[in-house]
Amino acid sequence: MKKLPFQKRTLALFAIIVPLIVLFVYVALYSGPLAPVSVVLTKVENKSIKPALFGIGTVEARYTYKIGPTYPGRVKLLKVDVGDKVKVGQVIGEMDPVDLDERIRAQVAALKRANAQLREAQANKNYAQAQALRYKRLLKAHSTSKEMASAKRRDFLVAQSKLIAAREEVSRLQADLNALKAQRKNLALIAPADGLVVSRDAEPGTTVVAGQSVVELIAPSSLWVNVRFDQIRSHGLAANLPAQIVLRSQADKVLTGRVLRVEPLADAVTEETLAKVVFDRTPDPMPPIGELAEVTVILPQLAAGPVIPNAAIRRIGGKMGVWRVVGHKLRYTPVSLGVSDLEGHVQVRKGLKVGDRIVVYSENALNKHKRIRVVDHIPGVTQ
Amino acid sequence: MISLAGRDILHSWGKFVFTGIGLGLLIGITLSMAGIYRGMVDDAKVLLDNSGADLWVVQKDTLGPYAEPSSINDNIWRGIRSIPGVDQAANITYLTMQVRKKGGDVRVMVAGITPGGPGIPGWPPYLVAGRQITSSHYEAVADIASGLKLGERIKLRRNYYTIVGLTRRMVSSSGDPMIFIPLKDAQEAQFLKDNDAIWAQRRRTAENPAFNRPGVPGLLDAIIASQSTNPYVNAVLVRVKKGHNPEQVAEYIRRWKRLTVYTRSQMEEILIGKLIATASKQIFMFLVILSIVSSAIVAFIIYTLTLGKIREIAVLKLIGTKNRTIIGLIMQQSIALGVIGFVVGKISATLLMAPIFPKYVLLEPLDSAIGFIAVVMICVLSSIVAIRAALKVDPAEAIGG
Amino acid sequence: MSGKGIKIFGLRKSYGSGDTAVEALKKVDMHVAPGEVVGLIGPSGSGKTTLLKCLGAVIEPTAGKMILGDDVIYDDGWKVKDLRALRRDRIGFVFQAPYLIPFLDVTDNVALLPMLAGIPNTEARNRARELFKALDVEHRAKAMPSQLSGGEQQRVAIARGLVNRPPVILADEPTAPLDSERALAVIRILNDMAKKFETAIIVVTHDEKIIPTFRRIYHIRDGVTYEEAGEGRNVE
Repeated sequence: MKKLPFQKRTLALFAIIVPLIVLFVYVALYSGPLAPVSVVLTKVENKSIKPALFGIGTVEARYTYKIGPTYPGRVKLLKVDVGDKVKVGQVIGEMDPVDLDERIRAQVAALKRANAQLREAQANKNYAQAQALRYKRLLKAHSTSKEMASAKRRDFLVAQSKLIAAREEVSRLQADLNALKAQRKNLALIAPADGLVVSRDAEPGTTVVAGQSVVELIAPSSLWVNVRFDQIRSHGLAANLPAQIVLRSQADKVLTGRVLRVEPLADAVTEETLAKVVFDRTPDPMPPIGELAEVTVILPQLAAGPVIPNAAIRRIGGKMGVWRVVGHKLRYTPVSLGVSDLEGHVQVRKGLKVGDRIVVYSENALNKHKRIRVVDHIPGVTQ
Repeated sequence: MISLAGRDILHSWGKFVFTGIGLGLLIGITLSMAGIYRGMVDDAKVLLDNSGADLWVVQKDTLGPYAEPSSINDNIWRGIRSIPGVDQAANITYLTMQVRKKGGDVRVMVAGITPGGPGIPGWPPYLVAGRQITSSHYEAVADIASGLKLGERIKLRRNYYTIVGLTRRMVSSSGDPMIFIPLKDAQEAQFLKDNDAIWAQRRRTAENPAFNRPGVPGLLDAIIASQSTNPYVNAVLVRVKKGHNPEQVAEYIRRWKRLTVYTRSQMEEILIGKLIATASKQIFMFLVILSIVSSAIVAFIIYTLTLGKIREIAVLKLIGTKNRTIIGLIMQQSIALGVIGFVVGKISATLLMAPIFPKYVLLEPLDSAIGFIAVVMICVLSSIVAIRAALKVDPAEAIGG
Repeated sequence: MSGKGIKIFGLRKSYGSGDTAVEALKKVDMHVAPGEVVGLIGPSGSGKTTLLKCLGAVIEPTAGKMILGDDVIYDDGWKVKDLRALRRDRIGFVFQAPYLIPFLDVTDNVALLPMLAGIPNTEARNRARELFKALDVEHRAKAMPSQLSGGEQQRVAIARGLVNRPPVILADEPTAPLDSERALAVIRILNDMAKKFETAIIVVTHDEKIIPTFRRIYHIRDGVTYEEAGEGRNVE
């Protein structure tokens, strides 16, 4: 019915109206909830994966020596400072003896006196013995009374007892002296092993209680990493597995090591399993004790099987599964998953075959009625 | 009969198209406003959707974890897990913070997720690139809106995290992009202060004679160690087994665990009803004002167009045109203007405006349909003034001038 | 749609009421036969335009009688209900300015009237084209009004007045914007058309150039018409 008045006008009109309508239709269909969802597909691969465990820990020394006096006392001198290396048997400090030497001298004098008393008791005993023997003979010859003889006999027994007492007194004093001498000798703080001084907790003049450490030593060759693995990711952790250690201070340097042991006691509060990992070669310079380390334990390689990226895994209706693409339709396929590695590959035990096409990334949540548009990468992701 | 309105539009189509485009931009802004409102509601909904939870267990008598701070012990989940009807229970922490990256800061919500793999409540349900977190430390999945890229390293509090995966539309209720990190790291990030603060805290503790007693070696170390752990999380996300009523499970937890539990609908009520209520009212006011302005503009334009045709209308009346035909002429033009405006508006809102708004703009087809009806209604109403003016024209005016 | 012309008896029109009433038309008597073109001449304020409006059925006279063709359309009150239909079907208008609808092309400007009366588009356009042939504007049938010259526009306007074959055509200063040659041409056309379509045509004018061309003239002064039948008047 419409007879358009002018060719040129009509053309201009079309030039504006047609793109407008085309755009409108595009906008109505390709944006908002009606739009197809961009997805990135991948194929289920046949691959053997190398699972790994990741934990963090701190660098610790296996042997730590805390050296301090056995008696309360005052620190007299310390010969070492933090960072010094010491040899086994080296005297690293001394406690102040205070009155110990005087007490030893007194003890020596007391011992001398006791020895004198011992000699006196010996003389008394000899004399009483001789008297007793003489009166015994006199009694046999009836030249003395019976009372006299038994009195001498008793004198002898008394002198004999006194001698024993004096002898015991001497050995007691001797033991006391030995004890003081031992104590005197123990005032020296001696390194029990080769090591490195890591802390100096008291300065000369400080009074310390028995058992308080004055100097702390570690054995640098015994460094290890005390690693904590989340229990959920600790399956397969065992001694002697190779490990990679990255220290916080040297994030780009990977050190090698191995698992020394897995602690039989786990941390119940933090739900972590503990393990000790030792360096293959002690790093030089030595990392500070307490430095954070990231540890990756590499588990033995598994036999090849169907493997999917973990980004493909969805959970719908209480079941783990993936969106499989059959033709142009989406189909949710529940799967049973096996072990995974740190790169995000997961083994599929059941549910998928090698070569199945599955959705790995999607622009929006999917459901089975959604239209999909297969793309190389989701719009907005910069490559 | 020919369409007078159509002929008039074809005759002065330039005027119509340009007026329509102007009107269209205004309608585009109106649609975008509605889109921003829908976007806010959607932000709240995707936050709940993406958490994958049926129930939120939070500190007693709080509106946590999104609307209020909430803090519960991180071992409570074990008790909840054992309640009949609970399929999965997972700890979660949320921490809103500023992340420094190349080219400025970005405000993000850091979610600490329980390790274990995809499918655990709190984990991002789908990715657009990269992979899910596999280590239990120092890996992060970030939303694409944060501008972070795969492989980038970011610093959250004390530690560096590598971005291993990207998500889309994983945002907090205020539209901030989310970053997912392992729970333990998040607990630490939430608790640990900067080095100076830790140092000062240690000194304070060391100077307190009660904690640093002579004769009790090791006490100070033990106290400091106990001060630097964080056994708290913000909420436990619970997924209910198929066939169980979430409300019943929630009631059980409320009663026996003495915690506050929210179901999905209650959570929506909190987020949409309380958290964004004022903002959405404000946007609604904008919508009303914009609608009034749009109708005023349509009315004005149509009125002006009609006044420019008074002579023709008088002639039409004189030669016997029915009032109905004249009303039709004006109203059809008004509606045509509205339709052009709507088409331009819809296009501009979708292609030009929505992408440049910093907030998420969700343009729902239903809103567009309602918008279309509203535009047509507004145009019809706006043409009334012009129609009155046209009907008042005396056909006699054509004679004798 | 040819008819028996128009007859008017004692038409009166007053504005307002009571003391302030103004009598614009006091006594108008006219009759125009089919095929006849008469002039209506009068100074400004003589009631010329009021008469035209009454004849055009856009204002209501106060008293009198009007017969259009065979029907009494006014006898101290309208006798037809639908004045719009009356104007559309039985009265043609030609104005001082052509007043063509600018957004319709020439054909549709003319065809609009039959279309309004419910005649199918094609037939309405055919009618218009027939008239264009007669009026010699056939070659501009698809042009827009703004592309026409003044004379062409006026001819299209005449075509519009004629298209529904009304018994009467009211022409209000149809030659005012034209030079004398064109003005005379228009009058010639009107005469031709009046004869051809058996239409009575009333031309309101004060254009000196064309007054001599009327066989019969009505003068109107202070609301009263006087007939001047001039034998010396010759159209050709």
